[in-house]
Amino acid sequence: MKGFLVLVASLSLLFAACSSDDDGGGGSTAATGGTGGDQTDLTVSGAASLTDAFGDIGTAFEGENPGVTVTFNFGPSDGLATQINDGAPVDVFASASPTWMDSVQDDGPGVSDRADFAKNRLTIIVPTDNPAGIEDINDLTEDGIQLVIAAEGVPAGDYAREIFENAGISEAAMANVVSNAEDVRAVVTSVASGEADAGIVYVTDVTAEVADRVTQIEIPDEINAIATYPIAVVNDTQETDLAKHFVDYVLGPGQQTLADYGFLPA
Amino acid sequence: MLLVGLPLLGLIVRTPWGRIGEVLTSDTALTALRLSLVVATTAAAISFVLGFPLAWLLVRSPFPGKTFVRALVVLPLVMPPVVAGVGLLAAFGRRGIAGSWLYDWFGFQLTFTTGAAVLAASFVSFPLAVLALEAGLRGLDVRLEDAASTLGASRWYVMRRVTLPLMAPQIAAALVLSWARALGEFGATITFAGNLQGRTQTLPLAVFERLQSDQDAAFAISMLLIAIAFAVIIGLRGRFLR
Repeated sequence: MKGFLVLVASLSLLFAACSSDDDGGGGSTAATGGTGGDQTDLTVSGAASLTDAFGDIGTAFEGENPGVTVTFNFGPSDGLATQINDGAPVDVFASASPTWMDSVQDDGPGVSDRADFAKNRLTIIVPTDNPAGIEDINDLTEDGIQLVIAAEGVPAGDYAREIFENAGISEAAMANVVSNAEDVRAVVTSVASGEADAGIVYVTDVTAEVADRVTQIEIPDEINAIATYPIAVVNDTQETDLAKHFVDYVLGPGQQTLADYGFLPA
Repeated sequence: MLLVGLPLLGLIVRTPWGRIGEVLTSDTALTALRLSLVVATTAAAISFVLGFPLAWLLVRSPFPGKTFVRALVVLPLVMPPVVAGVGLLAAFGRRGIAGSWLYDWFGFQLTFTTGAAVLAASFVSFPLAVLALEAGLRGLDVRLEDAASTLGASRWYVMRRVTLPLMAPQIAAALVLSWARALGEFGATITFAGNLQGRTQTLPLAVFERLQSDQDAAFAISMLLIAIAFAVIIGLRGRFLR
């Protein structure tokens, strides 16, 4: 009997532990504060690379619109689009590539007021001590390099693969990929922690937070990919006016914030 | 019932039964299945080999700090798997306390290898093996072992021909439980081992990756995991409810 109870206890712990494995596709959620009174909530799904810039934009937007709380859902654009198409109650979607905005437009609830609000370039990052001695993109083809890029379908992952094609090093570089990260920020973490030898991320991902743990290695313009970021109001939003207001804000005052973080104008 | 039944029902309803053959025979699914079986079986074996002596000590040897040791053994069970992954990185990552030594002296890095996936799976399934084996050892009638000894059996003979056979149901439970837990491991694996088809992308990781863009495939592979889980439950039915 006692043995049976121990086994039951272990089983329930097993299921408890297993349930905490649940990691959904959406990445992190951050709610920036709002004032009391008549509260309106705006949910914005944004590509992981927008975490810092949109965080600031959200705070500023709330400042100008008392009573509004902007809740962000950051993650890989493909995962976010899939969530929206599956019915997630998102008001605004900002993607790191047109592909996933098209997906919401064609296969999902549809979008309106769509506009490109920024562009971005990619770069190679290595840990500051550069264990693999990488100096340019061709070094990524050397045997045994532990290279981490985002998974296929994630814009940063697709752009990285595009850059390898442009440089003519696809086969060798892809053979060095040791992990397909779920979003571009996970790539940053791998490199900043020193586990990976190199990663391909957006130039804007080298934020003040990680700047002292990684070194950037420039990708020549002629082979680099240019990421185009569209933003739009998701059609089944309950807050059409507010959502449009937010989109306008990103296209207006938000542009300076984006530029401050290193994004290029659309 | 609803709590457990509805998600299962939802999965069954949303699975693309028409496409399931195509998805489950795809490169991604087959590679993940093969890798998962290898990782889970190896992890279960490791958990058993390391867990049996520990269970024996916990049950049969008095030693100071036993409560502490038992708490330590159970820790991976209650720890959130991602935290377990972070812990494994802190220990065995390239900059980890043991990992940095491995890297500096042998040029060997454990992260991003299949071994890392096995280690992550072993870490989380080890407590289950120990608990099940402990229960088995406690439930033994020691007099049977004593009788064998007084009849002239060596300690090894007693272990082999009396103890282990008497414990066979609990040994089976330990193996199956730790195998099932190892199979389902996600958080520690993706954090510590990474995600690469053929090397570290086990079935749960494949589901997660598919979920981002091809939900149908994610549902199909999930059904495969559910089927395996059911097989485990049915297999264990006789052991538990004795």
